[in-house]
Amino acid sequence: MFKLSRKNLINFALIACVLLFISNSLSCFKNSAHKTVKPGLSLVGLAKREAGGIFFYHRNMVKAEESDEQIEMLRSKLFDMRELYQENSRLRSLLAFKQQSALRLIPARVIGRFPDNWTSGVILDKGKSNGINTGMVVVNHIGLIGKIIETTSLTSKVLLINDSSQGISSIVQSSRQEGLVSGSLGVNLVMRYLPKDAQISVGDIIVTSELSRIYPKGLLIGKVIKVGYEFSGLNRFAIVKPAVDLANIEEVLVIAQ
Amino acid sequence: MKIILLLLVIVLLTVLQLTWPGFLIFFNCKPDLLLVFAVALVFFMNFRIAFLFAVLTGIVKDLFLPTGLAVNTISFGGWSYLVFRLSTQISTDNEYVRLFTLLVVLFLNSLITGLIILHSGNTVSPGIFFRNLVIPSVYSIALSPLIFKLIKKIS
Repeated sequence: MFKLSRKNLINFALIACVLLFISNSLSCFKNSAHKTVKPGLSLVGLAKREAGGIFFYHRNMVKAEESDEQIEMLRSKLFDMRELYQENSRLRSLLAFKQQSALRLIPARVIGRFPDNWTSGVILDKGKSNGINTGMVVVNHIGLIGKIIETTSLTSKVLLINDSSQGISSIVQSSRQEGLVSGSLGVNLVMRYLPKDAQISVGDIIVTSELSRIYPKGLLIGKVIKVGYEFSGLNRFAIVKPAVDLANIEEVLVIAQ
Repeated sequence: MKIILLLLVIVLLTVLQLTWPGFLIFFNCKPDLLLVFAVALVFFMNFRIAFLFAVLTGIVKDLFLPTGLAVNTISFGGWSYLVFRLSTQISTDNEYVRLFTLLVVLFLNSLITGLIILHSGNTVSPGIFFRNLVIPSVYSIALSPLIFKLIKKIS
């Protein structure tokens, strides 16, 4: 066991005094020592901070990248869902129209459009093998689209109502005024051969007439957006906006004869 | 190999022409990629191959059109021959000369098709007639360097 003798105590006190003296006498070097070490310490501190910052930034960056990927994935899922939702609602409308209609209808999808700018038409994914024949009328749940002009066993070509070669016998729904709706290759249609005193005004609904041998009576064509006089001054004409957006047709119904 | 690649390009361009995306349709007009291809062949290929493929391209285009006449089969072959004759008279090595020649061909082809439509009794307003002359021609010219590159690689 350690014994604290007087001799030891004196030695310890002496050593402590010497150490105290030395440390007090060295305090004059403190300042210069601190000054010398400070830049190194600051540099190490800065490096430490920066390294920490980089590590923090990298960790955040990785997290942000992961989040971005997830956002993109969710966005694409949302886009798919929207597409499916829109397709679903379109098909539902078509189905409802098909069920309500007394006509026998063949559903088909648009797979292409005519390759030039001087004709307006689409190509359907169904043909003779599905019961589609030349001369059949094409509609959707909104209104008239066109007629079948050519069929193969698997596909068929539809001439849209805005093609310049189209002429559809039609009437103004409210006044029963007759006229001929023809395509103009543009967005709108033109209703011609209206007498000078024809009862027609902007907003009137135009439907197919019973005089037409191709199109069934009462199919919606569009709405009048402008009425004017022809160059000769003998007749009037009306600009008709088609009910169906002919530039964006995806599913159609072919009326089987 | 070259012939198979050219056939593949015709199929690719036809599919593209038939399913041209709606957001790339300007003023209801789309480019005539098949005619650009038919004419571009003359610049980079042997005339016989260029002519045969131009006629084939015309046939393919006519197959997807409602017109009974084989207008494109004749006109594509015709343009191929005329551009070849022109290339024997003037140098068509310069890119700008090629583009200008192509622009003239596209414009004239549109004009001929338009006049046939009018002659067959259809009514087209002057505005739409002019639109169908100018916009598809300029649009096709804008895309023609891509087809030129493609044919250059094949040749």
